[in-house]
Amino acid sequence: IEMADRANGNIIQLEDGWNNEIKKRAIDKLEQTLDNGFDTAFEPKEYIRIYTTCYDMCTQRSPYNWSRDLYQRHGETIEQYLQNTVLPALNDKSGQGGTILLNELKHRWTNHQIMNKWLKKFFTYLDRYYVKHHSLPTLEQAGLRHFKDVVYENVKEQATGAIISLINEERDGEIIEKSLVKSIVELYENMGLGGASLESYTNDLEQPLLDATRAYYARKREDWIAKDSTPDYLIKVEKALAEEKARVTEYLNPASEPKIRRVVEDEILQKVQMNLLEKEGSGCRVLLANDKSEDLQRMFHLFSRLDNGLQPMASIVESFITSMGNACVEKRQAKLDGGEKEKNDDPEFVKSLIDLHEKYLGVIRETFSGHHLFQKALKNSFEVVVNQDVGQYSNAELMSTFCDRVLKSGGEKLNDSEVEESLDRIVQLFSFLTDKDLFADIYRNQLAKRLLNQRSSSDDAEKLMIAKLKVQCGTQFTSKMEGMLNDLAVGNDQKSEFDARMEQHDTKLSFSVQVLTTGFWPTYKTPEVSLPANMTKCLEIFTEWHDAKHQKRKLSWVHSLGNATVKSIFGKKSYDLQVTTLQAVVLNTFNDGKTFDFNELKKILNLNDITLKPLMHSLSCGKYKVITKTPANNKINSTDSFTANAKFSSNMRKIRIPMASLDPSHNKNRVEEDRSWAIEAAIVRIMKARKTLKHQELIAEVLSQLSFFRPQPRDIKKRIEALIDRDYLERSAENSDMYNYLA
Amino acid sequence: MAGRKRKATESANQPNKMWGTSSSSSSYHHHGSTSGGARRRGGSSSSSRKEGGSSSGRASSSAIDEAAALKLFEDISDQEDPNVANMEGISTLCEQLGIDPLEDVRVLVLLWKMGAAKKPAEICKEEWMQGCNNLRVDSIDKFKALLPSLDVGFLDREDFKDFYKFCFQFNRQGTHKTLEKDLVIALLPICLSEGRVPSERLQSFCEFLETTKDESYSKITLDQWRSFLDFCYEVEDLATYDESSSAWPVLIDEYVEFMEKKAKDGKKK
Repeated sequence: IEMADRANGNIIQLEDGWNNEIKKRAIDKLEQTLDNGFDTAFEPKEYIRIYTTCYDMCTQRSPYNWSRDLYQRHGETIEQYLQNTVLPALNDKSGQGGTILLNELKHRWTNHQIMNKWLKKFFTYLDRYYVKHHSLPTLEQAGLRHFKDVVYENVKEQATGAIISLINEERDGEIIEKSLVKSIVELYENMGLGGASLESYTNDLEQPLLDATRAYYARKREDWIAKDSTPDYLIKVEKALAEEKARVTEYLNPASEPKIRRVVEDEILQKVQMNLLEKEGSGCRVLLANDKSEDLQRMFHLFSRLDNGLQPMASIVESFITSMGNACVEKRQAKLDGGEKEKNDDPEFVKSLIDLHEKYLGVIRETFSGHHLFQKALKNSFEVVVNQDVGQYSNAELMSTFCDRVLKSGGEKLNDSEVEESLDRIVQLFSFLTDKDLFADIYRNQLAKRLLNQRSSSDDAEKLMIAKLKVQCGTQFTSKMEGMLNDLAVGNDQKSEFDARMEQHDTKLSFSVQVLTTGFWPTYKTPEVSLPANMTKCLEIFTEWHDAKHQKRKLSWVHSLGNATVKSIFGKKSYDLQVTTLQAVVLNTFNDGKTFDFNELKKILNLNDITLKPLMHSLSCGKYKVITKTPANNKINSTDSFTANAKFSSNMRKIRIPMASLDPSHNKNRVEEDRSWAIEAAIVRIMKARKTLKHQELIAEVLSQLSFFRPQPRDIKKRIEALIDRDYLERSAENSDMYNYLA
Repeated sequence: MAGRKRKATESANQPNKMWGTSSSSSSYHHHGSTSGGARRRGGSSSSSRKEGGSSSGRASSSAIDEAAALKLFEDISDQEDPNVANMEGISTLCEQLGIDPLEDVRVLVLLWKMGAAKKPAEICKEEWMQGCNNLRVDSIDKFKALLPSLDVGFLDREDFKDFYKFCFQFNRQGTHKTLEKDLVIALLPICLSEGRVPSERLQSFCEFLETTKDESYSKITLDQWRSFLDFCYEVEDLATYDESSSAWPVLIDEYVEFMEKKAKDGKKK
């Protein structure tokens, strides 16, 4: 009937429309539905009717436009329902235990959502024009607002408390109704102002939860730390963090994840960090000592979560590795104290350092994920250990001799990849050495010995080592070494050419020469021994050939370095004696059964005592006494007389007669001098560029420029004073702290 | 003032060491200082310190009797080289002035003011004439009258530094650039008398020099000499000394170390 009325253009009056249509058909029915507990949808017919009523009431011409009233009544309806029905129901359930309240709240919230939905549908028209026109909250927003003000604000504290209790129960291992909590959390999320805001959630639930979490884990921490070992404690930490993370995913808002995590990390990690690291019997040091890589890895990952969480751990690692390295040094010290003879060779010691380094390289890579703090720790500790010299021979020397073993033939028996690996590792150890220039000096001497005595097992290996040193230290560092190899290569290239020249002459000697460029090689004495005529002739041929090629070069013969094979006949047997050039010259002197005493030999050969004595010793007092000494004892005296040993015999045909090398070993003073020079050069270079500089800055610059050794500040000062004395620099008149460059 | 490069020259046979052990002059009584006469105050007249001096031919503007001054010089000049007066001659002058050439710092002050800077242990004719002109002296009496003004207590720090440097340079032997340590130990108290430098500092430094076994300190360089004075001016309290930032010569660092050790040993007793 009413519909017909409208069709006829009858106006709907407010109360009429409200009470008879809307309230009766929509609101009452809706409320009833909710009370019954199931969502009975309105049938399309009903819905359209109600909707149309609203529509009409809102589109009627004024003064019959009931938009404002409808909007108001919408709100009032909701409010009243909440006040009269919902809130009492909730209050009824409070004090009966958290879950019961929460369930009721969930129920009521669900209902409200339904109510809000339908009312919105019915009054949709208001949303389209009236609400927009007057910038009012939408129907939905208004509905939420009412729920918040009437219900939520009154119940939130209890609800929060209930949730926190449940969460703590779950932490203690109980099973809880997660979906229930999730639903309530959604309620909190929706209570934020302006819809998208999480304000209510954050203030009313999250913050109390964070406080409770903090308290909870503080208690746990106290409990665990007293009883558990560090590894066990950390396992618990790991577990707790995983659980909390899962919890957020399951029923909290994602925004809480980092906050909860930080609280937990703070309480159970940060606050006891040092305690855990230093715990007796299970702290970081103990774990390292026992190679507990899994526990260390866990510790690493957990502490990396904290701000600056890894530095304390890295410091302990550094100190531990240092003590391990020091133990190697002490072992060497003990060996020497125990009376072991001092040699420049201690492969056991060097290898122990290499092994230690390799081990912890691996540990850092695998257990500490190659983290830079731990790499630095390893570097720092080795810089301390490697520079602790014990006994007469420096570690620089020991390391160089170690290389010598690897590179010389008859040293370590290694295949190619083992050689490369060994060299690689020794260069790593070398990188920690302060006195790199000392190493270079010794290395060059040993390289020279290998090359000149053909004792190098592989040219490629030599080049490889030099290349590795070059990568570490730059071209300047290895230029002399490369020069040495180059000299030999050039020699090889030119050998066939010179051999052809030799063939043109008939010297009855097969002869080859190795030319060494001065400056690349160590300095050798050049004894001016008197050579037999045939040898002299060879020298002349070579000199002529050489000078034609290189007019500007001057040759100095270093007979102390040469080798010779002497075919000798004792009785009926002939032997090939492999000797040094000087030994060959001596042997030649004793042809035809001649006898000479020591002083005569000195004159004939033009050699001094220092050179001749070991020479004669090697030929008359060693294993192969090819020369007979009278009197026969083990010491060469100037009164001794010598002659060829007619009775000499051996089973072998080829005999090598060794001799102590005459060349000087490395000269420590020279290294010192080179350093003084290098410091001065650096000072002059810097002052020339800067013209005027403060003392401390000059020192710092000098130190940064010197990469192969580290002088003491006092030594640098002494060089500065020397330069002042030589008028390269002056002290500034205005400032006693500054220097001026004097052009 | 940067150190100048000195050309290598022969030093004639002269007793170069004025101070220290080997001098043969005997000590003299001090005459009473005469009053009156022109008194010259401490020298800010820089011309007297220039090397090589100007020629003495300035008769027109000269305030002194050049001939008399020249005669004085000839009385003390070396027999073999009349252009210079060496320590023997200078000692003679001192005798006449009644001052002790071994102990009296005024000799050095006088020579400094006269500008005897060209070569150590001697004054040449040009320097003498220039010096006499600057100081307005041409007779022994006038020299005597000058004596009170040779008190270095009047000098400000900068001028004193210059005098102090002169003391070093003048006492060198020939072309040597350094002084023997023993000479330094004897010379320092004379140059740095009258509170220029706290006496405790001076004494302990000399003690340090005497006791150090470091070979490199058997000779003292000009830089070390000058630095000692600057050091005394700038570092009054050794406790504030910080070696790690100090540009002072290593000699000073080791002196401070010596003092610290002394203090520690003192506390132990």
